[in-house]
Formats: sequence, structure tokens, C-alpha cells
Amino acid sequence: MSNPILSIRNSVKRYGPVHALDHVDLDVAEGEFLTLLGPSGSGKTTLLTAIAGFTDLSEGSVSLRGRDITNEPPEHRDFGMVFQGYALFPTMTVRQNVGFPLKIRKRPASEIRARVDECLELVQMGAYADRMPSQLSGGQQQRIALARALSFKPQVLLLDEPLSALDKKLRADLQWELKALHDQLGVTFIYVTHDQDEALSMSDRIVILKDGKIQQSGIPDTLYNKPRTRFVADFLGKSNFLSVKVKSREGDHLECVAGEAAFPVDATGHSGTVGNSAEIALRPERIRLTEPGKEFLTGTVKQVSYLGERCQVLLTHSVLGQILVSCPTWKSGINPNPGLQLGFGWDADACVILEAE
Amino acid sequence: MKTSPFRIFFNTGAWAVLAFLLLPLLVVIPISLTDTSYIGLPKEHLSLQHYENYFSSAEWLGATWTSIWIGVAVAIAATVLGTAFSIGCWLISSRASTIARWVLIVPILVPPVVQSLGFYRFWVKLDLIDTYFGVILAHTLLALPYVSISVFTALANLDRRITQAARSLGASVWQTVISVIIPAIRPGMLTGGIFAFIVSFDEIVGVLFLTVRTVNTLPKQIWEGIQESIDPTIAAVATFLVVLSLIATAAVSLRKKTA
Ligand SMILES: Nc1ncnc2c1ncn2[C@@H]1O[C@H](COP(=O)(O)OP(=O)(O)O)[C@@H](O)[C@H]1O
Ligand SMILES: [Mg+2]
Repeated sequence: MSNPILSIRNSVKRYGPVHALDHVDLDVAEGEFLTLLGPSGSGKTTLLTAIAGFTDLSEGSVSLRGRDITNEPPEHRDFGMVFQGYALFPTMTVRQNVGFPLKIRKRPASEIRARVDECLELVQMGAYADRMPSQLSGGQQQRIALARALSFKPQVLLLDEPLSALDKKLRADLQWELKALHDQLGVTFIYVTHDQDEALSMSDRIVILKDGKIQQSGIPDTLYNKPRTRFVADFLGKSNFLSVKVKSREGDHLECVAGEAAFPVDATGHSGTVGNSAEIALRPERIRLTEPGKEFLTGTVKQVSYLGERCQVLLTHSVLGQILVSCPTWKSGINPNPGLQLGFGWDADACVILEAE
Repeated sequence: MKTSPFRIFFNTGAWAVLAFLLLPLLVVIPISLTDTSYIGLPKEHLSLQHYENYFSSAEWLGATWTSIWIGVAVAIAATVLGTAFSIGCWLISSRASTIARWVLIVPILVPPVVQSLGFYRFWVKLDLIDTYFGVILAHTLLALPYVSISVFTALANLDRRITQAARSLGASVWQTVISVIIPAIRPGMLTGGIFAFIVSFDEIVGVLFLTVRTVNTLPKQIWEGIQESIDPTIAAVATFLVVLSLIATAAVSLRKKTA
């Protein structure tokens, strides 16, 4: 990254024996929508609050446009922050809440008024300026919290699971709005979530954390299609995992075997050595179902679940065990019923060779 | 609805306890209206002479004012100190601050006589005996636990992330306390202040230990009044205080209803 707005170097945070952050390095590009994704307890909040200045790092540094801010108090960092619990000031009206950062910065009253109106319009809450926070619904409160965090034009906006207290429909709406807001304003967003759909749908880049360590980072497409470890492949979407042996290699093209089943694997960027064993991840939607004999493997349907737009089929194969297949209901062409024999197969580039964790 | 014997028993019990609590309080009212010059029920007619005596006696009025302004001073001092202490503990929220909270509340458990003796020994050394400042200081220390309990209760209902939000928006710790935390806990502070006033207004043991001639509070005046004479003015004072408390209670509960 040429000129990162934020750089975190070698950051460690210990709570007694627990490493909440374990040597994390991270660069954030100007204007980026970066998501920190990981299961609960993986250190997302710790990393975010270390950036915000509320968590003192045990080791390492944070810098903003090349300036070391590791020991700068939060109020000097100029980062807006949005929390899961909204954290609106209960004794202030919506207008006073949104104007708070400007009042602290001693801006003239007329400017504050205009800017508050502008920000409330931005989050479609213009009509609510004189309400108290307790008179608003959760989604409305979160919009106000967002307007408040943006009103002073922060360098970076930090969001810690801002949508997880809301119901599913509202969450989906606000995801679109957040993304649109980001594109419109061009502010750098650092977004924490444990929800993979949220991460995939909004982010320019995702950083996956586990036990305080970065597992992998990249654009959503790369993380989804080229996971490096079993953890990433499992956490982002569903995967089948196959233990195989490498039989032969021609360039990037491997022939792998599991028992008597043989199939092609694309090994671009991997050192699959002939004779070694490897673990392979295979997305359910990359598997084709056909009549028996038309693909290189044959299995028996064990269970089918209908999900509306998609249909999930659980196959059993004599060597590979259970294989999950997901096919669009509108074109599957076959009608899988439990007990039916089906052929199945995939393209070589559907397989991803995983690194040992 | 059927009335079970249990119900009757408990209802009667409840009324008996209430009567036990209230009657001694109410009996001062007829006594205060007596036409006799000693403590007793009215003989021939009702009279306001003892009220007249109260409101025209420089001694009684002086003692009343002294108690009021000492109470106000104590309320202000204890509220400021207790609030500062509680907010500090809340912001730090470590094990040490939890221990500090408990230590501050311990004085409630110490018998007043023991406490007053402690004050007395120190106040002699500090040359504070029989000074207004000495009494205010002692009462403030006695009232602090009540204020901090009340403020802690208010803080417990406050989302901790509000502090983080305020600071990320550019407010220093001090600005956060002034413009976000204090407005949110104001009801708790007010309750604490009222408690502090009552603790001071009502306090006698410490005053008896710490004052001689200069400082004369209302409880001390009443105490000395019964020692020296059996003047029904005391009943008039007591009635006046009961009425004042009733008005104050009514005002507070009305305020709560409208709020
Ligand atoms: N104040 C704290 N004291 C002790 N342990 C903590 C504290 N904050 C976080 N941790 C620990 O650090 C780890 C990471 O926590 P956190 O960053 O909150 O995870 P996440 O936000 O990803 O759920 C967890 O194991 C958690 O228990
Ligand atoms: Mg968290």
C-alpha cells in the first residue's frame, strides 16, 4: 500500500495470559471500506479500540498518515465511532447529540445548525431533530449515532458491530445505506462484524481475525474463492473439505486421488508435491450434479433441503464421505430424492489447496 | 372477594405497625396547641401561644437558621465530593475502585457515638471545636456515604460506552464529565443532596461532642430545651418540622410524577 492513512505495526495486547492481539500488522488505505471479521473473542473490538485510543497496546504502534499516535488520547485522534448500543447522550436532543462534536470544537452556532441539518438529511432523519433519543427506535437511534460520528468530518469512521442489535430486514436496509454513505462521502470506514454476509456485501477489503491474529486479508472475492486456511474457508460461507494425495503434476495442474476417486485440482501458487497429502476446500455451489456416469464421481443422495432460490443436496460418497452440493432450483434439471444415485464433478479451479494451520 | 383470616391478620398487623410509627409523631400536634405552660394535652381551649413563642424567640429562630444553612452547606459539599468520588471510581472501574467504594460506605455501620468521639479527638487537635466549619466538616463526612450510594445507583444505569462515544467525538475526560455524565446523573445527585441535608439537619450526637456555646443547631436546642424545662414550644417546633417535611415530600413526589 503506497500511502496508508492508518498503519498498525506489530501490535500486541495482553490481558493476563490472554493475547487479545497477537502481533497484528495492518495498513488501511485512504477512503477504504475495511472490515474486521472474526468470531466472538477474536480481538476485533480490541483492535478497533486500540485504533480509537481506548485500549493501550502492550507492544506495537499506531500511526496516522505517518505520524505516531500510539500515545495520543482518543479525543485528539479525530476518529468518529459508532457502537452496537448506539451510546447516544440520553439528556440531549437529537440535534444536540449530532451537534456535540462541533460544540466541543467551538464552532459558531449558525454553522453547527446548518451542519446538523445536513447530517440528519444524510441519514434521512431530518424530521427528528427535536426528539429525545429515548423516543426513537433502535434503527433510528443508530442513524443518529452515525450522523453524530460524521458531523465533524472525521479522518476515519470506526464502527463496532453497529447493526447487530437490529432485526434482519432493517439490517439489510442499513447495509445498503452504509455502503452508499461510504461511497458518497469517501471517508475511510473500519467496520467490525462477526457476520460474514455483512462483511462480504459491504467491504472493499476484509481482514479475518482469529485468536488475536490476522488469518487472511483481501477483497471479498479473493477471500471467498481463494481461502488460505481451513478456518477462513469454513468461516466465510460453507465448504467441503477433502483429504487427498497428489498423484501427478503437470505445470499448475494436479491429479489428486482419494481412494479410487481421482480428480483434477488447479494448484496455481501452490507447491503441491507429488506423493504428498493435501487438504482441499470445495464450495458446494461449484459442484455439478448430473445423471450417474456423466461426471467423474458418483454418489447417493442422503438428504435434500429446499431453500427457495437454492436447493441443498447432501450426497454420500464411498471414499469422500459426505459432500454438500448447492444448486439453483431454477436450472438443476434433475430432481434429487433421497436414495437416488447421481453423478457429480467440478472444474479443476473449483478446488483450493489449503495451508496447514 | 373472600377475606381469609390470614389477610385480616396481616392487614391488622400492618395498621398496628403504622400506628406505632405515626402516633408518637402525631401526638406532638395537640401538645403544641396546648393552653398550658407545661407539656400536656390542651385543658380548656386550643392556643397558638407556643407557636408565637417559637417565631418570636431569637434563640429558637437562630438555632433553626443555623441548622438550615449548615444543612445546605453540607448538602453542597457532600454532593460535590460524593459525586466526584463516584464518577472517579466509575471511570476507573478497577478492583481498587470497588474497594474504595466499600470503604466509603463503612461509616454508615459505625455507631454515631464512636464516630463522634473520633471526630472530637481530631477536631481538638485541629482547633475546630465549637466552629461552624468543624460541624460542617463532620456532617459532610457523615453524609458522604449516602450521596455516593445515590450517585452510584444513577451511574449504574448509564451506558459506559457513552464516555467512549464522547471522547471519540473530541471531548476531553473533563468535558465528558461536565457535559455528558453529570446531566445524566443529576436526579441521583439531587436525591443525594437531599439526603445529605437531612443527615445534617437531624444530627445531634456529633454536635453535642463538637460544640460548646457558639454553634447552636436546632436538634441541640431541642435537646437542651427538654433538659432545662418542659416548655411546649418544643412541640410547636416539632409540629412545624413535620409540616415542612410533609410539604417537601409532597413536592418531591409531585415532581417525580410530572417528570
Ligand atoms: N478488559 C478486558 N479484560 C480482560 N480480557 C479482555 C478484556 N477485553 C477483551 N478481553 C479478551 O480479549 C479477547 C478479545 O476480545 P474482543 O476484542 O472483545 O473480541 P471480539 O470483539 O472479537 O469479540 C477475548 O478473549 C476477551 O475475553
Ligand atoms: Mg466485540
